[in-house]
Amino acid sequence: MYRYDAVDRAVLADRTAEFRDQVRRRLAGELTEDQFKPLRLMNGLYLQLHAYMLRVAVPYGSLSPVQMRGLADIARRFDRGYGHFTTRTNIQFNWIRLAEAPDILDALAAVDLHAIQTSGNCIRNVTADPYAGAAADELEDPRVWCEAIRQWSSLHPEFSFLPRKFKIAVTASPHDRTAARVHDIGLLLRRGRDGGTGFEVIVGGGMGRTPHVGPTIRSYLPAERLFSYLEAILRVYNRHGRRDNIYKARIKILVSALGAEAFAREVEAEWEKIGTEGDVPAAEIERIRAAFTNPDFLADPSTGDFEARRAAEPAFARFVRNNLKAHVRPGYGIVDISLKGIGETPGDISADQMDVVADLAERFGQGDIRATHEQNLVLPHVRLEHVHEVWKALDAAGLATPNINLISDIIACPGLDYCALANARAICVAQDIARRFEAPEKAEAIGELKIKISGCINACGHHHVGHIGILGVDKKGEEFYQLTLGGSGAEDAAVGKILGPALPIDRVTDAVDAIVGAYLRERRDGERFLDTLRRTGDAPFKEAVYADAH
Amino acid sequence: MRALTANRLSDGEVVFWRAGAWVERLSDAEIFSEEAPAAEAEAAARAQPTVVIDPYLIDLVESAGFWAPVSYRERIRALGPSNHEHHGKQAEGGGAVEALRQAHGAARSSGRVNLIRRK
Repeated sequence: MYRYDAVDRAVLADRTAEFRDQVRRRLAGELTEDQFKPLRLMNGLYLQLHAYMLRVAVPYGSLSPVQMRGLADIARRFDRGYGHFTTRTNIQFNWIRLAEAPDILDALAAVDLHAIQTSGNCIRNVTADPYAGAAADELEDPRVWCEAIRQWSSLHPEFSFLPRKFKIAVTASPHDRTAARVHDIGLLLRRGRDGGTGFEVIVGGGMGRTPHVGPTIRSYLPAERLFSYLEAILRVYNRHGRRDNIYKARIKILVSALGAEAFAREVEAEWEKIGTEGDVPAAEIERIRAAFTNPDFLADPSTGDFEARRAAEPAFARFVRNNLKAHVRPGYGIVDISLKGIGETPGDISADQMDVVADLAERFGQGDIRATHEQNLVLPHVRLEHVHEVWKALDAAGLATPNINLISDIIACPGLDYCALANARAICVAQDIARRFEAPEKAEAIGELKIKISGCINACGHHHVGHIGILGVDKKGEEFYQLTLGGSGAEDAAVGKILGPALPIDRVTDAVDAIVGAYLRERRDGERFLDTLRRTGDAPFKEAVYADAH
Repeated sequence: MRALTANRLSDGEVVFWRAGAWVERLSDAEIFSEEAPAAEAEAAARAQPTVVIDPYLIDLVESAGFWAPVSYRERIRALGPSNHEHHGKQAEGGGAVEALRQAHGAARSSGRVNLIRRK
């Protein structure tokens, strides 16, 4: 992975010193809260319901064991012994004291991490395929481009005050694990007809109160022209994006208002003006590429007793079925670590668990850890021979729940338990559903089913793209939940459709159970939940949930 | 009945007004039955920008012999997150915490909504 150089470290040291002085001035009364709030937000520090929350950027979801231990140390010294991985592959600490925030930034900088651009109307952390560099179906490692975008967009003066926040995803696999089509910009690496590498460019996707699946505005952009094209998109957005109405300020509204073709014409015209001067030199891309050195793969490693143990130990076999994915190299696998233990808070991880993951990555995983936008972790390069030992260690730490992509692998935002913006809780809804479907046989029989829960319309829990989406609303002063069906954040991206009237909190799990029951009755051989829903429409599901209301 | 609440500047802790000072437990808070002293306290709290952020009044109902916020948002603030019962003020347990847990009422915090409107 990319390593900071002396300039990176100097920038971070300056930034932390600047923030330390800003905090001092705020506590001394030299800055008002109105003056200070934008400054703390630029350093990822929010005030939530119970305390300050610090959002730390995990660049394109990649962490080293040293960084993971650094996060564990912060969790212990400055928080309550845990952190929370988010749908932007960042980590949040929920119990931060203002006076200690600069010390935390110093601790982050010591392991090449920071909290810059995790808030505000700027380019946020880039999402990458969490299986990057390991996926069997990958064209090339997309993290090279993510890192180049990170460097290009960090503290970029022209793009520090955009009309609204801006999120970019990059993937190089036909199976989209980044939700690229619901990002402000989605970049899909493609092979060109000439054998070169380029991007399909999707612009104007997003969730929030007006969800959009982004249209493709250019089917093939040569990779070497990426940065001039990104600059052109952002310039058009900066010029025409609405600053008069926060609810209409995202680029999706502009693309939708102009139409994708007209927006693309504006971008192409701007791109022509910028020319190749806006591109990053090939040598710089190659310098970055060199930082993503290939792990030390063995040509034909032994798989040891992997198959024998899989045959002999049903619990291990279940973990392998659900949490181990195909690796590009023979003899290796991708291990998904579920942060969705039954009854636990989705995305939460204790400091001790962080240390376990760091140790395993160091001993068995080429020192590579990834965070996923589905609030899980990944060890992307594990020899099959070692998977059993990794599983045993994860199991002992409560991290081996075999539920990846199953019904209890639920995304949930912090909701009203922590968030100052939320209308309703999300975590307890996820916990209740997970408990209902706790039996692994039952979850496996149901198959792939992605439930995503948001505590407000800002959609941090990605409910719009949940196969079953759950949105917490405030209905006449009570917590109610609106269900949507048919959303997808994958390559078949879709926005879910509202099923019917919102339900009170104590009916949500029963409603999910009823939806699952209808699916199991209706499904044909080999169909996933989404396949059945798309074939039957929502009538059987509506009937199952609202039958009592007739 | 009403109480005055805010977040403490230094650590974000939820605090409640009591006779010119701030306390961490709602059960220790000053309860206002009249509009004028409540407004007076709110104005005094606003004059403490290096102590608290965004003070506002919240409505209360009686619950099991204690005062509890009408809105569940404010009850969560007064208790702590419902997913970690050992975090926040609820960790202390006792009758006041139980009374908050048992209270029922509206989601919306009228005090918070008024604060947002003022901004």
